[in-house]
This record gives sequence, structure tokens and C-alpha cells, in this order.
Amino acid sequence: MEALGNLLLGFSVALSPVNLLWCLVGVFLGTVVGVLPGLGPAATIAMLLPLTLKMDHTTAIIALAGIFYGARYGGSTTSILLNIPGESSSVVTCLDGYQLARQGRAGAALGIAAVASFVAGTIGVLGLMLVAPPLARFALRFAPPEYFALMTLGLAMVVFLAGPSMIKALLALLIGLWLSTIGIDLFTAESRFTFGQAKLLGGVDFIAATVGIFAIGELLVNLESRAGAELFKVAKGFRNLLPTLQDLKDCRFAFLNGSLVGFLVGALPGAGATVASFLAYGLEKAFSRHPEKFGTGVIEGVAAPEGANNADAGGALVPLLTLGIPGGNTTAILLGGLILWGYRPGPLLIQEHPQLFWGLVASMYVGNFLLLVLNLPLVPLFAQILRLPYYILYPLILGISIVGVYSVNNSSFDVWVMALFGLLGYLMRKLEFPAAALILGMVLGDALERALRQSLMMSQGDIMILATRPISGTLLLLAAVILLMPAARKVRSWRLDAIERAG
Amino acid sequence: MKNTMRLTVAAATVAILFPQLSWGQDFKPSKQIETVVHTGPGGGSDLFARAIAEMLQKENLIPQRMQVVNKSGGGSAVAMSYLAEKKGETHTIGFFTGVWVTNPLTTAEATVTIKDLTPVVRLVLEPAVVVVKADAPYKNMKDFIEAAKKSPNQLRQAGGSVTGRDNLMRLLIQKATGAQWTYISFPSGGERLSNLLGGHVQMMVIEPQEAGEQIRAGNLRVIASLTEKRLPSLANVPTIKEQGIDVTIIPQARGVVAPPGVSRDVVHYWEGVFDRFTKTATWKQYLEQNQFEDGYLKGPALAKFFDDLTAQMRDVLKEAGAKVVR
Repeated sequence: MEALGNLLLGFSVALSPVNLLWCLVGVFLGTVVGVLPGLGPAATIAMLLPLTLKMDHTTAIIALAGIFYGARYGGSTTSILLNIPGESSSVVTCLDGYQLARQGRAGAALGIAAVASFVAGTIGVLGLMLVAPPLARFALRFAPPEYFALMTLGLAMVVFLAGPSMIKALLALLIGLWLSTIGIDLFTAESRFTFGQAKLLGGVDFIAATVGIFAIGELLVNLESRAGAELFKVAKGFRNLLPTLQDLKDCRFAFLNGSLVGFLVGALPGAGATVASFLAYGLEKAFSRHPEKFGTGVIEGVAAPEGANNADAGGALVPLLTLGIPGGNTTAILLGGLILWGYRPGPLLIQEHPQLFWGLVASMYVGNFLLLVLNLPLVPLFAQILRLPYYILYPLILGISIVGVYSVNNSSFDVWVMALFGLLGYLMRKLEFPAAALILGMVLGDALERALRQSLMMSQGDIMILATRPISGTLLLLAAVILLMPAARKVRSWRLDAIERAG
Repeated sequence: MKNTMRLTVAAATVAILFPQLSWGQDFKPSKQIETVVHTGPGGGSDLFARAIAEMLQKENLIPQRMQVVNKSGGGSAVAMSYLAEKKGETHTIGFFTGVWVTNPLTTAEATVTIKDLTPVVRLVLEPAVVVVKADAPYKNMKDFIEAAKKSPNQLRQAGGSVTGRDNLMRLLIQKATGAQWTYISFPSGGERLSNLLGGHVQMMVIEPQEAGEQIRAGNLRVIASLTEKRLPSLANVPTIKEQGIDVTIIPQARGVVAPPGVSRDVVHYWEGVFDRFTKTATWKQYLEQNQFEDGYLKGPALAKFFDDLTAQMRDVLKEAGAKVVR
């Protein structure tokens, strides 16, 4: 009941014309930033922070938070249409989204991404509203061994990203893990695999690598075969450009899966939306009735990760608002903003400034709705891009990729990294190595290694610390089950074969 | 010879009598000022630079906007080599921290040192305190040291990079007391704090501002301040030296440098801006809010500070067993 009263207070704040307007401005900007690869919400919010000083503080956080979760909506657009991941949390969306676009279902994929984002975004806010303090306390139980187990569970998802050959998938994964070790090692301050290059001290930029592997690699393959000219079909008529009722039905589980995984992982300060999106995709495939179709363009393969990265936004606000602990770059900027506006973000924030917290929560319901209304009409419009002839479309993809990658760090070195990874992506496609497995290794490698070394430091080198703690033990068990699934499936098919032969 | 001498004296006299005529006023920014930081958006240096930029504009002290550019990676190596590439560029500045001194000492690839850049001003010194969970049995630093002695390496401290101030202070305290405990690196302050609040580590060294709300909410307890004098905001917390542990206090400084080879005029210009800025009420209020110590320093004194800090860090790192490459 108390929550209801507070929520009413929140809506009275969020629905004031000024706040409504700034919420719209925020989510619109967020969408734009999300669509553009490279430019991310953290940099955008940092740039706009000075402008908010003269605004009412609640209005300011409503607008800036709008950029934060709005960017998650836009991230899927270039992933689906052009195979260019718009944000790192939309990398997985490329796998099935782009295939759907090639089959002429770009509109359906974009539409389902918007709907999944709306559903999961709303569930994320619901969670933020109802369970934030207990969830934050639960998240504090995550120490390095738990993070290690979570990352291992993530790695186990390689099973679902593998193509026909598991060996090739594991090899790609190992290369990804290796790539994640490049740079200065946090624990010894020594550099690894930098080949004397100061520019590699910071590691390989993730956006540069993924854009290279996905977008440039795909481009090179298509250039090779002139058939690329007619790769895309675009359905005629407005109604065919939106998801069908059947699509929505197929995604029921994906919506829920994405929402829960995204929200829970989001509440952990050391994980992040990219990890959440990979986990949701893997789980979706694990429980699917047609797992073999994933990667060829199934609609749930878009809904699950897109849902996860939106629910993550709600989750990420849990430690920020209840404890004053930022989980990532963007929430760190928001924390900086709160301090700049004169708040004291910490365990007492919600209690002392209820109108700020509840106004923000209410504005996020409104914002998610605005995003849906804003994004759905854009879907048929965006889908028209694919009508462009290849001699316009391909230079466009190349241009967007270069500008996007350059703008992450204003570094031309990163553009070369992208080019190199483009070649790698091309070779991997030719040799049928799954690129997604390599990306998975890159996403998780750093956090996995760190968590393992931290755990061993905690236990004075006793590896049993990983298995004997309840949360990490459970997660590791789950990972083992997932890893054994393909083997189990094989055994079952042998048995069926044997029975058939015997019969 | 005599003529030059006379000219110099004359010029000096003019400069003393009419400071507004001095050569420092020749430079004035005519376009956006590129402001380089070594952390991503939201990092400590990023937030500091943005706050300074905002305040300088609010006080109308600079005619152009400052555009913060994030050159993160490799500790501070990427930002420092970027500044070195901008040799002679008058519209670029960088915000340094202690990492800019220690990082080149331990990283062979980080070929640009703080000595290669042009010192402008030091702005603040950040104090640090030692905190434990509020329900921990350690009421003061001595309790913690005793417990660490009883079971060596069983207690854990959360911190950042091993070359960071928190680890160097740990090594100095260990050496002074003979106690031993484990240091676990976490990349972000958020993870450090949540591991302390979750009870997975027992102690951390933290800036008072970052810990402030947790202390006020009764989640953390301060057991010592790593400062020469007691902090005004934590007047009842004794310093580490008061508790009988005599260690060198490593300063955490923040300030501004320029690329190599920029003219005196540019440095003078910025010194003038910060001379006026550090006298404003805005600045005083900012220092108080963030519990920073005013560390204003410029000219030869700043160059000496960099020299001394480099020498001190080299000793501490060597003593700590780190590989010192230059």
C-alpha cells in the first residue's frame, strides 16, 4: 500500500508537463545515441551534465536516465539491419536479427525488439520499485567466487553459439579469451601481449572488434558473391513490416526470460548488460523447442537479448539508488550528477528524497511507453533502408562502421583494429568458425580471469572456494549441466537409432 | 653584455610595477580547449575535470569551452602519450593524478613520463581514510594490526591497481608494523565498496567523500585517517601516526599539465586563470563538499613536487617488490 501511495506521488512528479517533456527529450536522445554505433549513453550524459545544473534536479535525472535506458532501445536497429552492433549489449542481437532481415523480416525483428524492450523495461522498473532494497542486499552476497561462477555459466553458453563443429567453437572461444588478456594486468601492473605497443596497453576495444567481425566480415563475404545485390527482400505493405501475433506468441517466454535475467544481472555491480544479453540468448535456446534454428533467424533470438539489456537498465539503478554504488560507466556518471546537484547518493537517498526516487521510477514507466510509441512507427521507415541498392548500402555500412568505431575513443588506431578484425571475421565465416563464440570469450574473459584470481587470493590458493559456497556452487552445477547437454542429446539420438535398428 | 643586463633589469622593473603588462597576457584561448583525462566517462579524473570546466565557465574565467576528451587505457599511458603527440599545441591540457607518476615507473611501454609534459598547476590533495564494516571487531587501526598479526594473510583489503596509493600505503604499514594481510584488486570503486559491505573483504582505503554516506548510514566505521593532521569532517578519528604507526603519507594529487614544448605564455595564462579561480567561493565550496585539501602549487615548486614524488614512488615501489623499469 505504501508503495502505491509513493507511486502516486511519483506520477504526480513525472506527469507534470515539464518533466514529461524532458522525459521525452531524454528517451528520444537515448534512442538516437543507441542507433549510432560508437557514441554511447555514458559519453552523451557526461556532455549534457553541465546543462542540467540550472534545471530542477528531479527533472534532470528523469532526462538523463531517459538517455540511459533509451539507448538500449536504439541499440538493436543497426544490429538487425546492417549487422553493426549499435551498443556492446546488442552484439547478440546481430545473430538472429540480421538473419531475419536477410529473409525480409527486418520489420518483424525491429518491432519485436521494441516490444521486448518495452515489456522488459517495464518489468525492470517494477522490480526497481518493489524489490530494490532486498535485492541490493542479496547482490552484496556476490563475492569473486560467485562472479566466477556466473561468468563460467556465461562461458557454458558457447554450447548454444556453436555451429556444426563444437571444436571450432571452443577454439574461437579460446581466441576470444586470449584477446581479453591483452593490456595491463590489474594485479601485477605488468603488460601482456602488447608487443611493445603503447596503444594496446588499454586492450583491444570491444566495439572495434565486434563491428569488424560482424559488419566488415559480412560485407567482405557479400562483396565476393555478386548475389549480394539481391540479398534483402523488403516486405510490401505497412502491416507486413510489423511482428505478427504469432511472433508475439512465440516470444512469450523470451520476454520473461530476458526481463528476469537482465534485471538480476543488472543489479550486480560487476557484470553488465552484455553478459546479461548473452545469458538470456543462451537460456532461450536451451529451453527452446527448436534450438537448431537459432542463428538462422528466429524471432525469440532477438526478443531475449533485447529484453535483457533493457531490464538491465532497471537493475543497474538498484545498487546506485539504494547504496550509492555505481555498477558501470553510465551509472557512475549519474552518480556524479547526483553529487553535482547537491544530493548525497547513498543508503539514505530514497528515505530522504522520496520525490526523486519515486519521480524517477514513475518517469521510467512513462519513458518506456514513450519509447514504444516513438519506436514502432520508425520500424517500417528503418526497414526501407534495405531497399537501397548494394552499391549505396555497402559504402553506407562501411562509413557508419568507421565513424562509429572512431568516435568511441577518437582513435584511428581503433579503425585499424576494426579492419583487422574484419579480415578475421571474413576468414572465420569462410572456415565456418562461429564468430559469436569468439565475442563471448572477449566479453567474459576479463571478468572471468579477474574473479578467479580474486577468489584464489581470498582463499590463499584453495580452489575449493569456488565450489563450496552455495551460490557459486549452484551456478557452477548449472554450467556443468549446460555443458553436458549436447553430449546427452547425442547419447539420446544414438539410443533412438539403436532402438530403431533393433526394432 | 652590459646593455642586455640593463634591459633585463628595466623589463623586470616594468613587470613588477605593471603586472597587467607582463608577457603572460599574450596568450588567450581562441578556440575550444581540448581537456584530456585518463579515465572513461564517470571515472574520478573525468568527473574532476568536468567539475573544474563547469566552475571555470561559471566564474567567467575562460573565454572558450573546455571539451573533456577521454583517453582511457593502460593506466594513464594512453592519455600521456596522446598529450606527448600534441607537442607545442596551445589549446590542449591534461588532468594528472598520482598514476601519471607511478604508471611510467612500472610499465615499460609507457614511455612518456610526467617530466616530459609541461607542469601547469597542482589543484588538490585528496586525503584518504581506512574504513572497516561498522559491525567489525576493529575499533581502531591497532585492533586491525593485532588481528592481522594473529592470523597473517587471512584478513583482506579491497583496492585498485597494485601501484595505486591504497596498496602502497598497505605495504608501508606492513613494513612498519610487521603485520601481513592480503590485497585484492578490483577495477571499480563500486566493486570494492560492495565487497566490503558484503563482508568479503575486511578493510579498504577510501576517500572520505566516497565513504561519507556509508558512514552516515552506519554501514562503515573509520579506524584511521592517512593524513598528517586530523580531518575537520572526522575530527574524532586519530591519524595513523597518532596511533603509533610512523609511515610516510603518500599524497594523491590532482592538477593540470600541458603538452611538451608549449610556450611560457600559455603556462602563464593558465596560472593566471587558476590564481583567480582558487580564490573564488565556488572553489572553496567545492573543496569542502568533496573533502579535498587545497593543494595549490605552480611554477618551480610544482616541478620539484613531481621530482620528489617520482623519487619517493620509485623507492616505495622497489621496497614493495614491484618491477621498476625506469
